[in-house]
Amino acid sequence: MYREHDLSYDFLGIHLENPFILSAGPPTDELDMAVDGLKAGWAGVVLKTTSVEENPVNLKYPMMSSFGTAAHKVWGLGNIDLISRYHIGEICARVSTLKHLFPSKMIAASIMGSRKEDWQSLVWQLRKAGIDLIECSFSCPQGSMGEAPGKMLAQSVEATEKVARWVKEAADDTPVLIKITPQVTDIVEVARALQRTGVDGVTASNSVPALIGVDVETMEPRPSVWGDGAYSGMTGMAIKPLTLRTIAEIARNVEITISGNGGAYSWSDAVELMAVGASNVQFCTMPMHYGFGVIRDLTSGMADYLERMGFRSPRDIVGKALSHIKAQEDLSAPVTYSDIDLDKCVGCGGCFRACRDGGHRAIVWDSVKRQPSVDTERCPGCGQCMQVCPVNAIRMKEEIDQHLHYFEFRGAR
Amino acid sequence: MGEFESTLNRQQAAIEAERCLYCYDAPCEAKCPAHVPIPEFIQSIRSGNMHGARVLVQEAHPLIEICGRICPEEEFCQSVCTRAKVDKPVRIRELHRFVTDSTDAAERLDIPAESRDRVAVVGAGPAGLACARELRLKGIRCEVFDARRLGGVPAQEVSWNRCPREVQEREMHLLASKFIDEVHIERVTDVGSLMREYAAVFIATGLPAESDLPIDGVELVGVFHARELLRTVKAGMASGTGRRVGVVGGGNVAIEVASVLRQEDPTRDVTVVYRRSIKELKAFREEIDEATRLGVTYQFLAIPDCILGETHVNGLQVTQARLCEEDESGRCRFEPLPASSYVIPLDTVVIAVGQRPDDDVFHGIGRSSSGLIKVGENMQTSMPGVFAGGDVVSGARTVVEAVRDGKKAADAIVAYMAGGK
Repeated sequence: MYREHDLSYDFLGIHLENPFILSAGPPTDELDMAVDGLKAGWAGVVLKTTSVEENPVNLKYPMMSSFGTAAHKVWGLGNIDLISRYHIGEICARVSTLKHLFPSKMIAASIMGSRKEDWQSLVWQLRKAGIDLIECSFSCPQGSMGEAPGKMLAQSVEATEKVARWVKEAADDTPVLIKITPQVTDIVEVARALQRTGVDGVTASNSVPALIGVDVETMEPRPSVWGDGAYSGMTGMAIKPLTLRTIAEIARNVEITISGNGGAYSWSDAVELMAVGASNVQFCTMPMHYGFGVIRDLTSGMADYLERMGFRSPRDIVGKALSHIKAQEDLSAPVTYSDIDLDKCVGCGGCFRACRDGGHRAIVWDSVKRQPSVDTERCPGCGQCMQVCPVNAIRMKEEIDQHLHYFEFRGAR
Repeated sequence: MGEFESTLNRQQAAIEAERCLYCYDAPCEAKCPAHVPIPEFIQSIRSGNMHGARVLVQEAHPLIEICGRICPEEEFCQSVCTRAKVDKPVRIRELHRFVTDSTDAAERLDIPAESRDRVAVVGAGPAGLACARELRLKGIRCEVFDARRLGGVPAQEVSWNRCPREVQEREMHLLASKFIDEVHIERVTDVGSLMREYAAVFIATGLPAESDLPIDGVELVGVFHARELLRTVKAGMASGTGRRVGVVGGGNVAIEVASVLRQEDPTRDVTVVYRRSIKELKAFREEIDEATRLGVTYQFLAIPDCILGETHVNGLQVTQARLCEEDESGRCRFEPLPASSYVIPLDTVVIAVGQRPDDDVFHGIGRSSSGLIKVGENMQTSMPGVFAGGDVVSGARTVVEAVRDGKKAADAIVAYMAGGK
């Protein structure tokens, strides 16, 4: 009925109807689920990581856990999942089926192997099945295969480079993404190594190694599998800032295509990931929470955003924020102070208390009017008051040579 | 613990607690007459520290079980909640109730050794109990006198439905066992003799006498007084009222007795007969809502002329009123419409038109024209060493305001005993 902005564009030679992909994980681990997701409107799927037929996959349940607050339970989601229990033969059959059902969607699959012949055999079989793109999991934090199980492949630059070459050699002109981990000393070094191998891009990044929690009464970790627990891979909103930094750091330093993944929960999160360098955005935790139907809000939100900002294609967003990201020492030094909008202020005093005990004691509290005011002489403009204000009545006013600039919250948050 | 369902479950309470803005100079706490540290106990709910929350509430207030159920929060804490400026107030009273419902009373109390000097507290209602507990916490030996029993109006008149028996008894037991050295069930009429034995006296005898309706027919069989009825029903006895009951009055007691009579027999007609309109009812909205839910009906703008009947009530003759300009309290005055009288057929009339202090007691202590005891800033009466608080000073008020008086008087008594004035 309502004609929306066209969100389609080209990604590594593949047509995407929008920038939103279902990433390798539980939502793509069953054929009917992948079908439903694509029907709902997702532009593509990356089928959950598969392996060669003889590879044993020993899953332990329960595998999910989360942390958050009472009102916001899943701030971060954790899993001790491994790769798919379905092996390459089954996955290739699914790829053919999906390609047949959805010829205009991106059908990708994620793989993991150990020996060269395993990696290459996986690639060859997928190509034969008509795969659009192959993603290689170098970064499943819950355990790996090969020479150093428990250590992620992507934590060794040398191994990463070697295996990526094997894969690209077998893949030939089929696009290959290497899924890396943020858990390395220097993400740029990893990206540079991958660039040298000729792979088509990186997926940045993956779940973050974490211990989701401990039950303080039983001392059992979360999730508790018969009383014991293992480290999880953490995903969800909590990791978005880590993903943003990983993507930005790669994009600022290496000329390589990036598929964004990790922590996006909305169209605007996706815009953020793209603005720092991602060409598309993969989602997993959010549809695992709210279902495939969220795609409708993602696309309409993105379409409205493009319209409002005057962008023609989602591609126009890619990297738009990068020129603003600098080293701390290269930032300007404006005269800054807190600027409180008393029309919005509800008088809770949260800013006063935060400044008194965690800032610079620069907010004065009028206990009769129940109103804060800023002692601009004392206020260096740290911005802590702005973070705690429940109604976003505070912004930071920055001044250089009588020119003004503001740091403020926009939108509903 | 756990016998009564709180209005909020654990998760709802935690979510509600997250709504609190944790105001720096919390207006809710300032507005609470007992100064319950509201943001702090809500913070403890948020962190799952229920014992800590209990201690905070219990330290501020001796009657937290009953106040968690009946305190008119819209008058106090919630009326000033900053969160209302964002969306709607935090449900503070329900959070308070969640604390009391989900925890046992904190009994590991650090109570100092008691003094040689004793203080007499006359009247064991909320004001007296609050004073006694506060004094005991300051190391002063306290003895309590009451004509009936511990607990005052909440214990004797607030229905079990609004605050269950076990909850009330648990609270009284804690107070009696930990804070009160001796309870004398006797009616005190003279404080002069008490002053010879005790270092100070606190009078908190409330409003035991019920006002009468100055009309003919009040002596007929079938005429009752509201608070006496509430005590009868609460004691487990039948009210003895008929099928068609008119409750005359427009305050909390009128509304409550109407509710209680409907609850006792849902087939009985209960009508509140009031001279003014629904807007002028001097009752808390929550109680009016509850009465409405129970099927209580209203006859507004009806001024009682006389109760009709030979030996038994068979009707109430009223004159229709009309509302005029507002008085200084913002409520409309009323005046009778000429030749407008009519009869409401009734077999029972319950009088709920007010309450006052006993007038044959405490000679020598300054009183106002309405019989209320006059006190100064420090709650001291005209007789040195004799302090007073609660309804006997302020007229009918809430439990939490009586608690405030009791706490304030305790501070003044300590200062007085230390040699100040």
